[in-house]
Amino acid sequence: MNRPDALTPDQSRAREAVRGMSRPAADPAFRARLRGQFVSGTIAPAARPVVGLVPFIARPAVRWGGAVLAAAAAFVVVSLLNQAPDWRMRTVSGDGIVVVDGVPVPIAHAADLERRLRAGARVQVPAGVRIELMSEGQLAIQFSPNTEASVPGLPGRWFGRAGTAELRSGELRVTTGRGFHGARLAIETPEARVEVTGTTFALICEPAGTCLCVMNGRVKIGARAGGAMHDVIEGRRRYVFADGRPDESADMRHTEHEPLGEFRDRMRGSLGAR
Amino acid sequence: MTPDDRPAHPASPSVSTTGDSPAGPGAALPRHVLERVRAHDPQALGEFYDRYVDRVFGLALRLLGERAVAEDITSEVFLKVHRAAAQLDASRDPAPWLAAITTNACRDLWRSGAHRMNRRSDSLEDAPGLAERLTRGQDEPEREALAREREGLVRQAIEALPENLRVAVVLHDYEGLDHLEVAKITGIEHAAARKRYSRALEALGRSLKETLG
Repeated sequence: MNRPDALTPDQSRAREAVRGMSRPAADPAFRARLRGQFVSGTIAPAARPVVGLVPFIARPAVRWGGAVLAAAAAFVVVSLLNQAPDWRMRTVSGDGIVVVDGVPVPIAHAADLERRLRAGARVQVPAGVRIELMSEGQLAIQFSPNTEASVPGLPGRWFGRAGTAELRSGELRVTTGRGFHGARLAIETPEARVEVTGTTFALICEPAGTCLCVMNGRVKIGARAGGAMHDVIEGRRRYVFADGRPDESADMRHTEHEPLGEFRDRMRGSLGAR
Repeated sequence: MTPDDRPAHPASPSVSTTGDSPAGPGAALPRHVLERVRAHDPQALGEFYDRYVDRVFGLALRLLGERAVAEDITSEVFLKVHRAAAQLDASRDPAPWLAAITTNACRDLWRSGAHRMNRRSDSLEDAPGLAERLTRGQDEPEREALAREREGLVRQAIEALPENLRVAVVLHDYEGLDHLEVAKITGIEHAAARKRYSRALEALGRSLKETLG
């Protein structure tokens, strides 16, 4: 093995070859032109950007950093664009105090109430109060008196098209709009789970169980604990008992026809007909 | 011989500028000229340019392998010199400073991805019989032609090196900078510069052995 500083004959020859290389001269015309510019102070960057901004941008660290920033910015922009319109409070009726995420809000403070009613917020609606929320073009939901539920998460416009909500007690009436097409909303009650893909229905959570009444379209419902999901078609209801008895199917409750129809028709203008 | 042997160079960077000594070919410009370069004196700038333009161009060409790109780099280097002339240290030979600017401009270009070494299609292995022809006695014109051909192969072997090894061998053996100066320019430790040069020479020796026999 050679000493670190010792050169092999091949290396010595290589070194002499490099040292013996000729010294090329620049093209006379280029040389003269550049000389004139240099002496007069009019020298300008090369027509082709040799160094400077472009190479700076293209340096690996900058390039990758820029790519990451661009991707992050694109992700933020796409995520923002993907968001469905926020929930807006369409109507609130009655008199009382609504509890949102543990904070009591008198319904007279409509602006404060609307600000707090965001996707995922837990809402306790007292007796005598009814609240309607709408996401323009997507979904409208009515919280009936004596209802405890969460405000549904809104499905994205293009991806992440699933929302969830929870109904602990009381009744939710839901109708979907044109923008909801292809999306899915899952609502869980203590004993049942429903999956919505485009419909008008009421979900009633009672001490004995959960009743799903479908006015339009088709909604799936099954036990929250798991197992098969059952389609409930237009005009029918299905009852999931809290004590584990077998589900019951029948025509939808007569008491739901009018309020569901009225709710659907009132929201149709903003949601778009389906 | 060792890799640390310093090559004799027409404008060795170790040369200090002196008072009024005439600047012969390859020598550093006199200090008073460099002082006037600092003040952007047109005549001094002209002398400075004449002294160093081919050196800058040659280094760029050896590192990049393309005349047009080497000309762009040369323009860029003299633009930087003009802008930074006031910071010129008139007590020192500006050659290492120019070599650093030139090398950094070339490295920026490599990093940009805008330039890719234009490798010739005739690879080093595509010169059958050259070794034999180079060692045979030849007439003068043919000897010159073969010397040119030989240099072309050396140039290709240099261009085939990875960029960091190419910089190491060109700055040390072609440009005449010592390892400490090369280390400063390339931003690595002195020992690392020596090691890198050894690797470059080893790769170059192997490559030329295959080509030249």
